[in-house]
Amino acid sequence: MIESLKARIWIVAGVLLFGAYVFAPNFFSDESRPSWLPGQSLVYGLDIQGGLQLVLGVDTKGVIEEKILRLGGSLKEDINKKTPNAVSSTKTNDVEPFGSVTLVGNVSQIKSFTSANYSGVLQLLDQSETSVTFQYFEAYVNQIKKQIVTQAIDVIRNRIDSFGVAEPYIAAQGSDRIIVQLPGINEADYEQAKDLINRAARLEFMIVSNEISPVELNTFITEAETAGGYTLGTKNEGGLKYLDYVKRINKDLKNKLPEQTEVVFQKLDQVASIEDGKSAVLVKDDIVFSGDKISDAFVGLGQYGQPVVNFSVASDGRNEFAKMTGENVEQPMAIVLDKVLKSAPTINSRLREGGVITLGNDTEVEKEANFLTNTLRAGALPAALEQLEERSVGPTLGADSVEAGKKAGLFGLAIVLLFMLVWYRTAGFIASFALVTNVFLLLALLTSLGATLTLPGIAGIVLTVGMAVDANVIIFERIREELLKGSGLRPAVKDGFGHALSAIIDANITTAAVCLVLMFYGSGPIKGFAVTLIWGIATSMFTAIFLSRVFIDLLVRMGFQKIMPVKKRMA
Amino acid sequence: MSQSSLKDNSRGRIEFVKKAPIFGVVSLVLVLASLFLIAFKGFNYGIDFVGGIEVQVRFNKAVTVDEIRSFMKTTGVKKSSVQAFGEDNEFLIRVESIEGKTQEETNALVNSSVKKITTGLSQNFDGAELRKVDTVGPQIGAELRSNGLLAIFYSLIMILVYVGFRFDFQFAPGAVICLFHDAIITLGIFALFQREVNIQTLAAILTIIGYSLNDTIVNFDRVRENIPLYKRKALEFVVNRSVNEVLSRTILTSVTTLLAVLCLYVLGKGVVKDLAFTLAIGVVVGTYSSIYVASPLTIVFDRLMGNSRSTSKA
Repeated sequence: MIESLKARIWIVAGVLLFGAYVFAPNFFSDESRPSWLPGQSLVYGLDIQGGLQLVLGVDTKGVIEEKILRLGGSLKEDINKKTPNAVSSTKTNDVEPFGSVTLVGNVSQIKSFTSANYSGVLQLLDQSETSVTFQYFEAYVNQIKKQIVTQAIDVIRNRIDSFGVAEPYIAAQGSDRIIVQLPGINEADYEQAKDLINRAARLEFMIVSNEISPVELNTFITEAETAGGYTLGTKNEGGLKYLDYVKRINKDLKNKLPEQTEVVFQKLDQVASIEDGKSAVLVKDDIVFSGDKISDAFVGLGQYGQPVVNFSVASDGRNEFAKMTGENVEQPMAIVLDKVLKSAPTINSRLREGGVITLGNDTEVEKEANFLTNTLRAGALPAALEQLEERSVGPTLGADSVEAGKKAGLFGLAIVLLFMLVWYRTAGFIASFALVTNVFLLLALLTSLGATLTLPGIAGIVLTVGMAVDANVIIFERIREELLKGSGLRPAVKDGFGHALSAIIDANITTAAVCLVLMFYGSGPIKGFAVTLIWGIATSMFTAIFLSRVFIDLLVRMGFQKIMPVKKRMA
Repeated sequence: MSQSSLKDNSRGRIEFVKKAPIFGVVSLVLVLASLFLIAFKGFNYGIDFVGGIEVQVRFNKAVTVDEIRSFMKTTGVKKSSVQAFGEDNEFLIRVESIEGKTQEETNALVNSSVKKITTGLSQNFDGAELRKVDTVGPQIGAELRSNGLLAIFYSLIMILVYVGFRFDFQFAPGAVICLFHDAIITLGIFALFQREVNIQTLAAILTIIGYSLNDTIVNFDRVRENIPLYKRKALEFVVNRSVNEVLSRTILTSVTTLLAVLCLYVLGKGVVKDLAFTLAIGVVVGTYSSIYVASPLTIVFDRLMGNSRSTSKA
């Protein structure tokens, strides 16, 4: 303890002034706040101001599976370009944890190629005289997964920005989840916001393949469906979701289809959704021009007055786009959005800087065109998302809870203050002042940290008040004990604070330790509780031990003889 | 100040330690009864832990529970429960344990069911205000449950280590057993009244653990301080004296906390009210246990560890 009372008074004054400075922005709205004040004001949680919270699972596993499905074909082409006929065939195997690919051919040539070009990516799993099997390194897969999640977060943020939510919170949760919070969003906008977030919006330009006739393709698909016992689900009946269905079909037909092709589906004109009627189209997946190389897009009108999307290609994609369109003039180009073929216009001439996407003549084509323009600007999601949790709070509920919580909290505080005043008189007044200061400092601290105040957080503040009262009670009872033993006021105060210290510190540190565990293991609400409690412990130690000591010492210096009643009481 | 009897000392006149065996039996019975309730009656888990849907809806005109129940039948969503909530015309609709064949299917089912309920409510009832809609998928539920248990487990380990480190090791088991005692009895009360156990409950139980620990440590602190002062006395005497010495603090703090918590219970709503309920139980149980469970247990463990009389770090 710093001996000089003057110095301690200065410290208390400094802390209070600083607290007032960081707390002050809460009294102003963003516009009216003077520039010399800090910009941070207290943020209220979703449970208080209302809004929407989503937890989304990112299908990183699916991306890896698709990657390995395409790997065989591209490896074969690359290796054979360098050493012709080194690879005769490839096969993708369904093994844990993320599949493997077997290349049949000249083993040493294959291995020399992969060790030169895929070091750190592919590891040898198995080898015979005529074949090699590779799988991805786990470190590589983890790196890819991390990339996917980070990228997905960026995309979601961009999309939400176009939606105009004041302070969205979008962050990774664990290794393959994303939490999205949209405070203050209107209930009417929930569905639109969810759609905007959830849809992958992966646009791909591919070339239509005519190596297999549509009839033969349909036969393959029916065979695969019967053999596997699955169908594409419709709204009313069970079955696979569209993306899962397409994935499954392509996996099952892998060995029947020509290499480097895949099946996508087109919705039939006369039905409402692709689940109700579809036709299969085979596309080449060796040349895929991806939508994320598009720099800008806007809705325009096509030649029959229907909405179309005009797009420009980013400068780093122009050569690729020119090559693809130049080599396939007179061929139909498949425009595929989320594995659904939207249209397949014939390429008239080489395109370089941009083009027009026709979306067919659906009833919802205008909505679709708007959606596509938005997502082309914001970027496609790198992986499918699955909604795991959704919580929404209407604006009135939070307001009601806060109103009730405020009333309850103030009453509780008033009772505690009254109790302290009656029991300890002068000292009780100091303790009350310390308590109020504690709440104020804690709120100031939370403001400057940019913490979010939730209802469980308010409960944490209440508990802090309880612990701060306890600290003062421990100290005052100890002083009373010393006074009862016949000590003078000054030594009683000194011993009281001194002896009480170990109990208070031990109790607070153990509580803080529990808070730390909660911060690591708890989810949302528990975390909010733990964060306020742990900072509350810090401020309450300052107010209950340091600040109240300063004031009591001051009273003693000023010549007060009695700071609390010392008569023997029951117990 | 070295009276030979426990009784004639003004600072040791309530004989906690002598009566401790009686309360030991009481505690044991309460803990066993709680475990029995937990095992056979089970918890009323909220959707946080089992997955499902919870919709809180308010209407601007009179609507009965039966009207909503029959509405729920038309949606085709099974296993739902409807209860009135808070003031008039406010209801809580809960749908639990929706199960599909795979996790993806369950998620899809949960998401489509909630859509049916929310759109159906606004179509069938004028002025329906959706105040809160929660949907939790099964994976998240299972994960929250296991994370919650881990949080409690690691908290107890940290307490054991810290108390063992700051005090002598005969103190630590008593502190932790006392915390288990509190947590189990509180959970037993939850099972008895079938109150919903959710994430907030977990937070509340951890708060109780924190509170009870606070009490226990204040008692232990005094025992630690008194041990070198009464070198010739038996540990029973020192413990009893210490508990008596801090008794006024224990009562004062418990009463103030209880008053504040009761305020929260009476005036608060929703989360705050639930939290206050748990805390109120916790304050009572926690105060009792630090006096009658934790303190006497230090004597028991002192004997078990073979010290007839222990010394302590200060």
